[in-house]
Amino acid sequence: MNANEIRFSDMRSAYGDALVNLGQKYSNIVCVGGDTTDSLKTKKFGEKFPERLFNVGIAEANLVSIAAGLAIAGKISFASTYAAFIPGRCLDQIRNAICYPNLDVKIVVSHAGLSVGPDGASHQQIEDISIMRSLPNMRVLVPADAPSVKKLLEKIVQIPGPFYVRLARPSTEEIHMEDSDFEIGKGKVVTDGADLSLFACGTMVSASQKASDMLKKDHDISCRVIDMYSIKPIDSDLIYKCTKETGSLLSVEEHNIVGGLGSAISEVTSEICPTFVKKIGIRDKFGESARDEEIDSLLDKYGLSPKEIVRNALELKKRDKK
Amino acid sequence: MVRFCEDGKMYFVNRYLRLKEKIKEVRILALTGIAEAGSGHPGASFSAAEIMGSLYFQIMNIDIANPNLRHRDYFINSKAHSAPGYYATLSLAGSFPKEEIKTLRKLESRLQGHPVRYSELQKHHSVPGIEYSGGSEGIGLSVSIGVCLANRLDKQENTVYCLLGDGETNEGQVWEASMAAAKFKLDNLVAILDRNKIQQDGFTEDIMPIDPIREKWSSFNWDVVEINGHKLEQIIPELLNRPKGKPKIIIANTIKGNGIKHMANNPQWHGKAPSKKHLPLLIEELEGEYMISPSIIAGATGIEEKSLIQKIELAEKYGAEMIHLDVMDGKFVPNTTFSFDIIKNLRGISRLPFDTHLMIRNPGSDLDSYIDAGCDIITLHAEVCDSEKEFEDMSSKLISAGVSPGLAINPSTNLPDWIFSHLDNLDVLIIMSVNPGFAGQKFIPEVLPKMSALIPTLREHGYKGYIEADGGIDQSTLISCYDAGCRIFVMGNAIFGSNDVEKNISEAKLKIDLHLEQTLLDKSRELNIQEDWIKGRKSILDRLEIKGV
Repeated sequence: MNANEIRFSDMRSAYGDALVNLGQKYSNIVCVGGDTTDSLKTKKFGEKFPERLFNVGIAEANLVSIAAGLAIAGKISFASTYAAFIPGRCLDQIRNAICYPNLDVKIVVSHAGLSVGPDGASHQQIEDISIMRSLPNMRVLVPADAPSVKKLLEKIVQIPGPFYVRLARPSTEEIHMEDSDFEIGKGKVVTDGADLSLFACGTMVSASQKASDMLKKDHDISCRVIDMYSIKPIDSDLIYKCTKETGSLLSVEEHNIVGGLGSAISEVTSEICPTFVKKIGIRDKFGESARDEEIDSLLDKYGLSPKEIVRNALELKKRDKK
Repeated sequence: MVRFCEDGKMYFVNRYLRLKEKIKEVRILALTGIAEAGSGHPGASFSAAEIMGSLYFQIMNIDIANPNLRHRDYFINSKAHSAPGYYATLSLAGSFPKEEIKTLRKLESRLQGHPVRYSELQKHHSVPGIEYSGGSEGIGLSVSIGVCLANRLDKQENTVYCLLGDGETNEGQVWEASMAAAKFKLDNLVAILDRNKIQQDGFTEDIMPIDPIREKWSSFNWDVVEINGHKLEQIIPELLNRPKGKPKIIIANTIKGNGIKHMANNPQWHGKAPSKKHLPLLIEELEGEYMISPSIIAGATGIEEKSLIQKIELAEKYGAEMIHLDVMDGKFVPNTTFSFDIIKNLRGISRLPFDTHLMIRNPGSDLDSYIDAGCDIITLHAEVCDSEKEFEDMSSKLISAGVSPGLAINPSTNLPDWIFSHLDNLDVLIIMSVNPGFAGQKFIPEVLPKMSALIPTLREHGYKGYIEADGGIDQSTLISCYDAGCRIFVMGNAIFGSNDVEKNISEAKLKIDLHLEQTLLDKSRELNIQEDWIKGRKSILDRLEIKGV
């Protein structure tokens, strides 16, 4: 994309629109919401297909289990509410009622990570990738922008079985072209480079791109930035390749460093290509409130700004030299 | 059939005695699996046996060979620890061979500790017919709602039956689901609450009181009914009778471990397996299940309709399992009693099975009227079946109308040879121990050797139905008939001859219970397990005042 044409859009709207389009194409798509259909933009789907959206109120365990029942009876069912209230609260239901029988339930959540902002730590879901990743049969996707949300949704409705799709609240910079293709189980190189690989997901892809620009300009370090939207299954081949071509790796995620993208990458490297994996993420602590206009400062405080990525990259390069 | 009429609709138990027999087999099979596995939940398997049997053997529209047909009815077993009973039911419904129950809970078994939804992915850990992977309590009702919503969306007219445990309703999610089912007005959902009043740690009302459970569900806008969950004649009509515009819950009052006395209502047997050594005795106890069928023509009050009604009410109140109706025409037997029109009038006052014994010369001509009157069992006399063909025609007519067919033979009549080719179409055989025609006759003792010769022969030929003792059955003759293999006892004057119907029924039952208990104790000695048996059975032996040694 031309740097002059930076566009911001929000993933939730992309989700809402995509769901309507998919609903037209697939008559067996249904959606279960939990008093957040306005915020999740699934209301649009309900306006278009009133009989196919079920609002179960503030009852998330019921929400995901009803979605499982719909899938038992042949539906592709979308279960949607805030990230804060699904993976932890409904782990048991997701495990036993969805993953164990491998049902066609697509859990799409929004407001993941610190960038929820003012609602504070209770609403800042930073453990979900870790939790969802540990469930057999579950696949975990973390799109970086609106175009990839749309494309990934088109993909997952064609693949039977459970998915967890994690969206963020704020508008994000569009990174991908409308016609880009996204394969499940692959990563996408968004900026090529030779000295270092930055593996990022979600909102951290654009932050990594900014860091990459700074590293190039200020330090003449050529970074490869990879959008690892598919955290499970993960693109082991790409991780291997980057290790061989660029040496040490950095992972960047709006998630606890325990069990997230960085951990997933380390699981690969430790088995097939041992190397340093520097994990940039929330360092195993809870977040805090910040007004919308303070989100960048909040992310910076927790080590998730382009500036922090640059600092970590430089440290890693220094260590590599030793 | 128990024809229960409401809103102009007839609801009935299809082949009552056959269903009863199958559920008995479910209990035996489940217990065999649990004993073999060394773990499992006999209590829940037994409290829900009649509920699951009613669903799989009569109510649900399913094709076990094609378990994914879109219009099928769904059974969501949220109370998944009832797995052994569930598997046994599925097996008898044709899902898998009975012998496989012995693999329960073992490595490489399709019968996992808790049931797993059947699919290509899980076909090595599941058997056809299982819709839902249970085990974590409190989820199944929500899942059922999802299935109901999809069914309604697809304009299917099928029903989702969800079995809930009472302890399970401690889970908050059950109430989330309860609210949602009412919101969506799911009249294609029937929940059955297995109210056995016991959970793992003890009695539900001690651990976490759930009463008043009926009022709770009512206030959540469900249609609520309460029944005895071991009585087919109560379960089946309620599964069939459905409200419009709201979900229905059947609160089935049950006894955990029902069928084995020392397990019944005993929290210790929630999740404990019996020893394999005890299995033969436990099976003997299950096979000992009997029914008292009071004959309402007996007693001094006569056969006026008012008196018949009174006797039915007393019999039901004091625990009789069915009602015996002796129809006499003054031709086949010298006496005359009543006909189908009276039976039809009586049908409305009780849901107990009507065990109708046709002592009439021409049963064929009025058979439709007797079916229509609401009989559950209709027994014909061999003496009036001129040919095999005649019996065949009548029994198939009864079967297709949902009535259990029976055959009766007089004391001097030999069992016709042709019956051996129709044993599958015979649910009960009455071996008369008086010459029929009058109430109050004396038992003919020569009938006992006849029974002892006939019954084993019938069993060898694969007869699974009941043997009914009829004629002069009282305290003094009950046990010899039981030992010969009878499990239905027609008792007339022994019940209605004196005023105390309650005492007469309970004493008859006590007599059999004592006898069975003594028999089991004796057999435990033969099997060299007496000490252990007495220990496990202590409360029962104490209650029946049987000395251990």
